[in-house]
Amino acid sequence: MTKRSFLVALALAIGFAVVGFESGRFWAYLVYSVAIASIGALSLNILIGYCGQITFAQGALIGVGAYGAGIAGNAGWGAASLLVGAVCSALVSLLIGLPALRLRGLYFAISTLAAQFILNYLFKILQPLTNGVSGLVVKPLMLFGRPANDEQYAVICVGLLFLSWLVLTRIIQTNVGRAFLVVRESELVARGMGVDVARAKIQAFLLSGFFAGLCGGLIAFTSRLANPEAFEIGLSVDQTAMIIVGGLGSLGGSIIGAGFVTLLPEAIERLGELLPSADLISAFREMAFGILIILFLLLEPRGIVALARRIFARRGAAARTNLPDRASYGSGAISAQNGRKA
Amino acid sequence: MLGLQLAIAGVATGSVYALIALGIVLIYKCSGVVNFAQGAYAMLGAYISYFMLRLHLPAVVAVLAAMAIMAVIGAATERLILRRMLKAQIVSVMMVTLGLLIFFRALCLAVWGPDQIAFPQIFPAGSIDFAGVYITYNYVAAFALATTLSVAFLCFYQFTAIGLMQRCTADNTRAALAIGIHVSNQISIAWAASAALAGLGGALLATLGGLSLTISDIGLVAFPVIVVGGLDSLVGALIAGFLLGVLEAFTEGMLTPALETVLRKFTSIDSVGALQQVIPYALLVLMLLLRPQGIFGRRGVERV
Amino acid sequence: MKKLTIAAALACAIAAAAPARAEITVCTWGTITGPDALVNGMTYGTRDYLEYLNQTQGGIAGNKLKVLMLDGRYKLDEELKIYRRCADQEQAVVINGWSTGASKALRDQIQEDGIPFISESFASEVLDPQKYPYTFIAGPTYEQQIIIALRDLAARGGKKVVLMYSDNEYGRGPVNVVRQSGVIEKLGLEVADLVEYRYDAQDVTAQMLRIKGKNPDLVYVQGSTPQLLVALRDAAKVGLPAKLFMGNLYNISPAIPEQLGAAADGFRAVQTYAFYGDDIPAMKEIEDYAKKNEVEKKDIYFIKGWLKGKVIAAAIGNAIKKNGGQVPADLKAFRKSVRDEMEALKDFDDGGITPPFTYADHQGSVQARIAEIKNGKYTPLGAWINAR
Repeated sequence: MTKRSFLVALALAIGFAVVGFESGRFWAYLVYSVAIASIGALSLNILIGYCGQITFAQGALIGVGAYGAGIAGNAGWGAASLLVGAVCSALVSLLIGLPALRLRGLYFAISTLAAQFILNYLFKILQPLTNGVSGLVVKPLMLFGRPANDEQYAVICVGLLFLSWLVLTRIIQTNVGRAFLVVRESELVARGMGVDVARAKIQAFLLSGFFAGLCGGLIAFTSRLANPEAFEIGLSVDQTAMIIVGGLGSLGGSIIGAGFVTLLPEAIERLGELLPSADLISAFREMAFGILIILFLLLEPRGIVALARRIFARRGAAARTNLPDRASYGSGAISAQNGRKA
Repeated sequence: MLGLQLAIAGVATGSVYALIALGIVLIYKCSGVVNFAQGAYAMLGAYISYFMLRLHLPAVVAVLAAMAIMAVIGAATERLILRRMLKAQIVSVMMVTLGLLIFFRALCLAVWGPDQIAFPQIFPAGSIDFAGVYITYNYVAAFALATTLSVAFLCFYQFTAIGLMQRCTADNTRAALAIGIHVSNQISIAWAASAALAGLGGALLATLGGLSLTISDIGLVAFPVIVVGGLDSLVGALIAGFLLGVLEAFTEGMLTPALETVLRKFTSIDSVGALQQVIPYALLVLMLLLRPQGIFGRRGVERV
Repeated sequence: MKKLTIAAALACAIAAAAPARAEITVCTWGTITGPDALVNGMTYGTRDYLEYLNQTQGGIAGNKLKVLMLDGRYKLDEELKIYRRCADQEQAVVINGWSTGASKALRDQIQEDGIPFISESFASEVLDPQKYPYTFIAGPTYEQQIIIALRDLAARGGKKVVLMYSDNEYGRGPVNVVRQSGVIEKLGLEVADLVEYRYDAQDVTAQMLRIKGKNPDLVYVQGSTPQLLVALRDAAKVGLPAKLFMGNLYNISPAIPEQLGAAADGFRAVQTYAFYGDDIPAMKEIEDYAKKNEVEKKDIYFIKGWLKGKVIAAAIGNAIKKNGGQVPADLKAFRKSVRDEMEALKDFDDGGITPPFTYADHQGSVQARIAEIKNGKYTPLGAWINAR
């Protein structure tokens, strides 16, 4: 991370925090929704984009964080409950990740699909802990003696997003982060280089789980309700779409992707309100989301980040790319992976 | 008596699972793609059958026409989208099929609306009362059709020239190319066949449970089936489909009430919810850890 | 930089599409698409009544209404977003929301914003005029509907009841409340079993067999129409007659007799509003409206929507009258006044949709009657009875 990228990110964070604080509750809501989704996408990108471990349990993991933080919050832990949620998620993430030490690629992905369904089932069943299908009503976070409002949440969430980005960017540049990349490219090579593959994977799961939990905790506090329906497989798909649209293996890309996936439906809906039928608006929204995913994967599989980089390169500004947080080492072009037949 | 009744209901739904799982395995074997959109094919097949039936076509013609259309859609998906993704990562391929699922759902939503629709009766209504066990004609027909078709397909795969080329492509793509098999055509055929099978499965599901967008969920239900059977085993998918159908029915009819009685006595938990949906996934995890290639699969390279 | 560009582009798209504020805005959201879309006539009905006022009377007291109908898709985050849009961006005077979950998540927020909020949910958890003075519902709670069914069973000398419900909040919540209240024992009844099923279940044969083994006098189903379709179909399959089953308001749908035919005959449901097509003054208005507009849903839920529209219009109308025929300039005061007027509605005549009611309890009509499917048509049995 260069000083320049740090300053750009800081300026952006402050800019968005101000937008969230000053433009009314609806904008505040959009700003913190994007910020929260971004934290989730960052965490998922660590796992999929950097370490190459495909998971479909992200939705449920975020749910674990939400319930963890919600329960701690209701017990009066205040802001510390965000940490509780994050730690819960990290532990569960580790548990989900354990099969990754034996399974690879596709088979591991399917095992995470199972984890997603089983965890979501547990949310519904563990009535004493989660209040079952009714959902856990979460007490508001107190700020200056009053429940925090949307504007304050916007600032808090943008702040936490900035911190998360900072921490993850640092980690990616250490040996821990480099180990992730090698494991992604080839476990065989990693072993040959003396990387402890099992350890790298465990670290990736812990790290990713922690931030997924943070994302969940923020969801719990901002929406004031943790209910199982919010953490179904659809959330996992949305999150994966974010990192694909933004760019696999790019932290900045995760944030752009999260913004895109969160705001696109709203934009389409506003435009669609000119249509006569309410059914159709929703259908178009969904359709656009599907088409977006397909088109990105077909035309620009490395996401908006790569697209932007290409455009800038054409303008001759390639040398001064201002997307500093890309994984600049490693080929970036990720080879056809072991699990697929050519 | 209860046991028998449950077994019958289980076998009937299991036969449809088998049909869907067969399609997923077929595609995986041939092109290495795990197709999350299989449920969407089933849903689309059901809606197209409905559309055809509304045109007052005879049921057989309507369903066959729907299957043909599905085959075209399947082949088109492969040609237009999946073929361009040969070198993409697994996660991208999985996501593209999820994108297809979302797209097809939205398409059906736009055309047919969000409400559940009564599917025209293609089989006679009513049931056979067999010594206190009720067997509806719907069940009999769904079972008979699904099973016949699955077995017929297996025979086709095993004994015909195209089947031989299919197997060859699935076994070793390079060798297939070397002996002059048009591999990419074979892959398209696999997708077409798979989509057609799913379309029939969807139509059968609609006769059993009405027509709605939720039919597409069958794709995710089928995943434990294929893993338990073995990702690359057609016979395995067939057998695991039946097994899981029966297992689900028994969980729902016997295990759930028993568990709930105990839980209500000792805890504040009133209900174990949709246990029948989780058990297959629990089984899947167990299977992956003990024997990742599945009951019938060949030992793969997926384990470290 | 790109982040800014994209954000700016999206912002422009959103801002360009966001229309300017009309004089009086009413927001209503429902599941236009999603799992419980079958009953979204409730949302269409409210919009259509207010549009009807716009077309026939130029709005309320000469002020045009801007009616916004949005799709919450039965997703919590979507509904929370819509609420903020309505409350903040659209400056709605009254909001009509949908799910129990969202109503619960938003109840403090509604309080703080001071916006009259009509929830589509009938859950007793959102109904508390003291604690949540801005939240209203429009009819008997689910619990009251269950109790009506149980009372009917007790009156007919039945004893064993099976409660069947879906595995979501809508299913489990009310059943638990009723069970814990002790009403069942007080009526001399006995719960033979509690049977839960998935809210999107396509086959409940196993549950029906389980119920059959208990040999109950009544099976009360807390479910939506699609689930009832599945339940009655599978009940017929295992030889349980439809007359054993009873459901709530959400099971009065022409789809049930249409799709099941004779297998649905004898099924009963608790009816809390007039049927679509009944000979009542409100129906005349709907027919009038239908001459020039298309009515999306012709069912009892649309009638409920129409009723809510009437309540909203009456409250706004009274608030304007109180202010000397002018729309109050201060939105907060306007909202407060509309809330007060809503609460003050007395012996409100809703054109025969329900018997006249008083809204001081935030619930409105608590009258209900039992309707049975006879020869493919819902037929009311007896007169309206009070659900309390």
